[in-house]
Amino acid sequence: MPLNDIAIVGWAQTPGVRRTDTTETQMCLDAVLRAVAMAGIDRREIGFTCSGSCDYLTGGPFAFVQNLEAAGAWPPISESHVEMDGAWALYEAWVRLHTGDIDIALVYGSGKSSPSDPSLLYPQQLDPYFLEPLGLDPVSLAGLQARALLDSGKATERDFAEVVSRNRRNAKDNPNAQLTRDDTVEELLAKGYYCEPLRAHDLPPITDGAAALVLATGEKARQLTKNPVYIRGIDHRIEAHQPGFRDLTTSVSTKLAAEKAGLGAGPVQVAELYAPFSPQEVILRQSLGLDDSVSINPSGGALASNPMMAAGLVRIIEAASRVADGTAKRALAHATNGQALQHNLVCILEGDN
Amino acid sequence: MSDTKPAEEAKPEPVVVDRFCTLTYSDRLSPQTVRFAEELVAGRILGQKCPVCGRVYIPGKGYCPMDVVKMDASTEVFVADEGTVTGFTIITPVRYYGQTKTEPFIYASVLLDGASSVLGGQEITGIANDEVRIGLRVKATWKPEAERTTEGHSPRGWGSVEGSIDGFEWTGGPDADRSTYEEYVI
Repeated sequence: MPLNDIAIVGWAQTPGVRRTDTTETQMCLDAVLRAVAMAGIDRREIGFTCSGSCDYLTGGPFAFVQNLEAAGAWPPISESHVEMDGAWALYEAWVRLHTGDIDIALVYGSGKSSPSDPSLLYPQQLDPYFLEPLGLDPVSLAGLQARALLDSGKATERDFAEVVSRNRRNAKDNPNAQLTRDDTVEELLAKGYYCEPLRAHDLPPITDGAAALVLATGEKARQLTKNPVYIRGIDHRIEAHQPGFRDLTTSVSTKLAAEKAGLGAGPVQVAELYAPFSPQEVILRQSLGLDDSVSINPSGGALASNPMMAAGLVRIIEAASRVADGTAKRALAHATNGQALQHNLVCILEGDN
Repeated sequence: MSDTKPAEEAKPEPVVVDRFCTLTYSDRLSPQTVRFAEELVAGRILGQKCPVCGRVYIPGKGYCPMDVVKMDASTEVFVADEGTVTGFTIITPVRYYGQTKTEPFIYASVLLDGASSVLGGQEITGIANDEVRIGLRVKATWKPEAERTTEGHSPRGWGSVEGSIDGFEWTGGPDADRSTYEEYVI
């Protein structure tokens, strides 16, 4: 199996909402059914299933097992789960397909953030001695990161506002977006601080949502669709868990992952970056060396809809759809996990043409 | 470096810090669980019947996990409040926080007539503990209507009947035929 001959052949996502009444499994089922239908396969053809979710977020140990019902676990299936964004479930499925004994894999990611309080929940991912007792939540961490970025001279508050303005305007064309706005940079800069130097609009919405994607190997992919979107390269790199041990104003793990994924081999027209806080998009753009010719987050990104554990997979879906519809010949998708861009994944997508 | 050995210092006592964490979740009941709870308070046990395989889930999940199809209100069916014990454990209570029992009791799975999934964790009454057996026929002991509540229902897949049904009592009738429940014995 050539490393670059695995393609995305079907995908779906649930519309981002602040609160859904349905169960997480029902959200997964909705996305899985539609992704499988788009791929034009019977679910029994799937050789491997991998999902990404977070039991802390769901609020129950082994909650991901219930979600498996969305994939149909009878007759028995071969499956795995990552306690990470669904983008990493895709990575595991991509690795699994290289063994060559199967030709189709299903990936999904899901998160219901509505039942819990993120400011209480997320400190639990930090070390239990120093940072968790402080209650260091994602907003505070993003605030520290933004402050470091401003102090370094690599960005201004105007840059943050530009990111917000563009993403939420782009989101107006995205039927799955939760938060769409038409604010100008000036209007945004006139607003007060929420957690200085962040303004409320620099934060992502709290979202319930799920996404699913079907992968197929070369020949099978070409049988299933006229427009297979090939994963030409994919890589992920992680940095120190302790945010104080690294330079928060750059992302060396993203840069390295992009190099390994083959970003340098040619220009990309579209990049979907998982930057839940606006300063993080600036950091990612600079670390990836993306210039103004690249369309960044035509979907509106995570500032428009941020389903935890699915939003990274959604970036891959959004980039893939731009390749499939011809908007881009080559696209980059990025996902992040952990705190303040600790762990990053980059994949490069191309069509047949 | 000194050539004399330093006097052995007393090792400091390790510092132990308790760090407790409380996470609170506030979830809404899913539409199918709301329907189940409403009907239970009214004295009826509601399920959803899969349009493909015909299995009846108590309570409904909003989908059939075997066929992976969505199920909405159009798939609702009622099942009996009588059924068969498919498995049980005799629990001898030990004292722990929250334990209210003092005497050994039965924790049984009950397959209601017309259902394809069992209700777990049910008390069995009207028969000595050491006579409880798989195949025993039992009937729900409903709380008086005014005392029924929707307490105990959860959107997370373990919908409970405890707010309306105290347990199941032996009907006194003959045991069920093995073929009616053997697929549900674990």
